[in-house]
Amino acid sequence: MTLYNRIALFRTERGVSRRELAEAVGVNNQTIGYLERGDYKPSLELAMKIAAYFSVPIELLFSFRPFESVADTLRRAAAAGE
Amino acid sequence: MTLLEKMDRVVYATGIDRILFRKMKPRTLRWTPLLVIVVLIGGYVLMAKTENVLDSDFWIGWLLFYGAFLAAAFLRALGPRFTATVLHPLDERELTVRARAHAVSGTVLATLAMFGCFYMAIPSIPGIWHPHATYDWINLGFGVQAGGMLLPTLIASWMEPDPIPDDED
Repeated sequence: MTLYNRIALFRTERGVSRRELAEAVGVNNQTIGYLERGDYKPSLELAMKIAAYFSVPIELLFSFRPFESVADTLRRAAAAGE
Repeated sequence: MTLLEKMDRVVYATGIDRILFRKMKPRTLRWTPLLVIVVLIGGYVLMAKTENVLDSDFWIGWLLFYGAFLAAAFLRALGPRFTATVLHPLDERELTVRARAHAVSGTVLATLAMFGCFYMAIPSIPGIWHPHATYDWINLGFGVQAGGMLLPTLIASWMEPDPIPDDED
């Protein structure tokens, strides 16, 4: 089963490099890259560490269903505001 | 400068310290271990088919075989990381890759050893070669050892996805 994640999005939004995130959660920076690319599924411990680092619930970062794109989210938010 | 200081300088000048202290970035070696295995087998066959140790073919085989053995040791240090250091402990992904690579490698070597035992049990039939000389057995032992070094590197290299460029480089 595919595990989708939004680590790259959160990392870019917070201006955090892969190496900084890797050091904060105690893994190799290649592991963060493989996670972002979907080549590796994290353990529950690592997933929770990453969620704790970004101070968000784990389901905001990881999902079995594809995440809505940022463009779609903005479009929906704009439509709701009108 | 004392002899020890000179030797120490040589280590740093040749870059051996980078391998010994694992300062090099690990790389995936998907084809090189296969090439080394082929050279290893070629060297062994050349030594085994030459009955006379004074024959030049024997020494060519010896050079190929032990050159490949040395290369196996180096490839293990250059390939995917199997050893943790104080500065770079293995993370959960690397530990998984290491465990799987060694498990598969162990299964392959055990299967080869099993078929080797069956092969050795075949009675002497003209044309079928069996190791008989002492050096045949010694070389075979080193060959298995080289296989034990190369197979985990080869398997782990195929398990590792393509590397991702470092965003801080």
